[in-house]
Amino acid sequence: MAKVTMIEAINRAHAWEMSHDPSVVVLGQDVGLNGGVFRATAGLQEQFGKDRVQDTPLAEGMIAGMAIGMATQGLRPVAEIQFMGFIYPALDQIGNHMARMRNRTRGRLTCPVVIRMPHGGGIHAPEHHSECLESLLAHHAGLRVVCPSSPARAYGLLLAAIRDPDPVIFLEPSRLYRLVKQEINDDGQALPLNVCYRLREGNDVTVVTWGAMVTDTLRAAERLEGEGVSCEVLDLATLSPIDHDTIIESVVKTGRLVIVHEAPRNCGIGAEIAATVAERALYDLHAPIKRVTGYDTIIPLSRLEHDYIPNTARITDAVRETLAE
Amino acid sequence: MTIFNLPDLGEGLAEAEIVRWHVNVGDAVIVDQPMLAVETAKAIVEVPVPFSGVVKALHGQPGDIVETGAPLIELESKRSTTDAGTVVGNVPTSDEELIESAYAGGRGNNGHSAHSANGTNGANANNGITPHSANGQLRAAPAARSLARKLNIDLTQLTGSGPGGVIIVDDVIAHSNAPSNKPSAPTPTAARPQATPFTGGEQLRGLRRAMAQSMTLAHDNVANCTIFDDADLHRWHESKDFTPRLLRAIAAACQAEPALNAWFDGATQIRRELPEINVGMAVDTPHGLIVPIIRDVGSRSASQLRGEIDRLKRAARDRSIAPEDLRDATFMLTNFGMMAGRYATPVVLPPTVAILGSGRLSRDVVAVNDRVEAHLRMPLSLTFDHRCVTGGEAARFLAAVLRDLEKDN
Repeated sequence: MAKVTMIEAINRAHAWEMSHDPSVVVLGQDVGLNGGVFRATAGLQEQFGKDRVQDTPLAEGMIAGMAIGMATQGLRPVAEIQFMGFIYPALDQIGNHMARMRNRTRGRLTCPVVIRMPHGGGIHAPEHHSECLESLLAHHAGLRVVCPSSPARAYGLLLAAIRDPDPVIFLEPSRLYRLVKQEINDDGQALPLNVCYRLREGNDVTVVTWGAMVTDTLRAAERLEGEGVSCEVLDLATLSPIDHDTIIESVVKTGRLVIVHEAPRNCGIGAEIAATVAERALYDLHAPIKRVTGYDTIIPLSRLEHDYIPNTARITDAVRETLAE
Repeated sequence: MTIFNLPDLGEGLAEAEIVRWHVNVGDAVIVDQPMLAVETAKAIVEVPVPFSGVVKALHGQPGDIVETGAPLIELESKRSTTDAGTVVGNVPTSDEELIESAYAGGRGNNGHSAHSANGTNGANANNGITPHSANGQLRAAPAARSLARKLNIDLTQLTGSGPGGVIIVDDVIAHSNAPSNKPSAPTPTAARPQATPFTGGEQLRGLRRAMAQSMTLAHDNVANCTIFDDADLHRWHESKDFTPRLLRAIAAACQAEPALNAWFDGATQIRRELPEINVGMAVDTPHGLIVPIIRDVGSRSASQLRGEIDRLKRAARDRSIAPEDLRDATFMLTNFGMMAGRYATPVVLPPTVAILGSGRLSRDVVAVNDRVEAHLRMPLSLTFDHRCVTGGEAARFLAAVLRDLEKDN
């Protein structure tokens, strides 16, 4: 048992899997000598050598392409993209090759790649360092998109992602990297992918969220409990494919749904959840579904970013409005 | 432990000779205090302590030559060496410990438990919270919920007849129409006044029941608007047979303004102007209101009209009237003035779009040029369906009625 931050949990998951599976390799810009832009891979090159922890040039397309080549030839690469805003040059490799390798080769080749990247704002970073582009990736068939919200889930889900036979995009909420510590067992135990995690049980309203917004949502639920409102909070955790069954089961129980995400509203994952609940549980709803999201603008720079990112007040307001219906 | 190397002392000098140390191993030093003196090719230079700490080792003795960039002193720094954890921005930190009781969903809640501090599955996360109302399992179409809210109906009282027992709009309406379930408060969709329950009385039948239904339909659907005026009959000579004159005036007005001799279907929004003028004439009978039709009013003489009026009135009163004499009215006339009442707001009966009422005649004082005279006048009330007839059309129609009525014969 050890109390660790999310970044340490990610580091330990790498170390565990590299110790137990010699096919696991790490690559990315500054992941070796420097230990990664946020220190996710600190110490790994020292421990596992330059062959297994490779510094690459500043070339995201090349990083993704290298990972695909390694993966199809028997390695299990874990690649780091320094910030999600830098994903665009890699999208060609990810969308046109990584996601469809199994399909293209009719199952002859699989592509067990993990591409990790910091996700979201709230760290006063410059442009291109605060994006939530999960919808962009979730829209590709053949990719699993995962986003942990705690050190324990970062550890368990990353292990599961590395062991998954198909490509996984692993989004790490950068403002949670060092926010809290949590006891974890560094025992190599993976968590299931493609299920939601129920963080709080409640009866009045279901709140679905993920990543860094989980922290604010739990705070809102705490505040609402003082008003006699019982919120059920689900951490989506795997953004694609979505565990709709758990959401529907909860909405049937509560009759109300609020979806909270940091990404822009338009074509966000919240829209997909809302549409599926409308298709499968419309008659169980007591009130229209509400979304609390980032705005359909470029995320502002540091001075305004906290006005963009949904906060506890916006979440509690939405829950109250839903209950007033 | 931090090693401080001999800095470039300027002027591109490659080396310097240590003259004397001002500090010793074990000294606690603070930033900028004198550390040592070195002699370069040009001068003796004092080098200050670069940061606060404790001296761990000195590299070189007085008289030694040290190259620029070579180790000079080792300091154990009090300076924070904590890694900010990022090369850009500012990653927030706290001393908070996360204790959560997450469990994986989607598998009957028996999925793999997360590494939680207390190992429970979150079942105790709901301590002290009031359970949700009995509506927890209620399934209802959103439109049904909305209607029930408007009608102040408690959905838990309903049984659903939709797929899988879902409560649908029809269930709410059926519940609302059941006599014992009238909503407690009047609402926009239940605007009909709720009569105070009483005992005794008779069930409406026959003509009176038909009147109740057609008037309710008319009231609920038509946008009634009534305009009033008086026809000055001062120029009339001997003839005092009013109804044929009224029919003639209506025919003339329909010529002048055909929009009021028409049918309108509110559901399809179709309006049809009619070539023939068939005037329905309200007849009061002991059994209720009956409206026989006088056909093709425009092409009949006064005496023909009188004959037809008498025949229909008789038939109406002895209830021998033929069904075809009650169909296809294009305009309505109600003449209530034999008894009392000067003006009224007659009700338009769909599909017709207008009705003219004539009230009790009286001799009125009127101004004629500069004199006052007493003239016989007929009060008129024209109601039109404002959904499909404009105020202008109605006013032109009434003007034409007045023009024709005010002729001497």
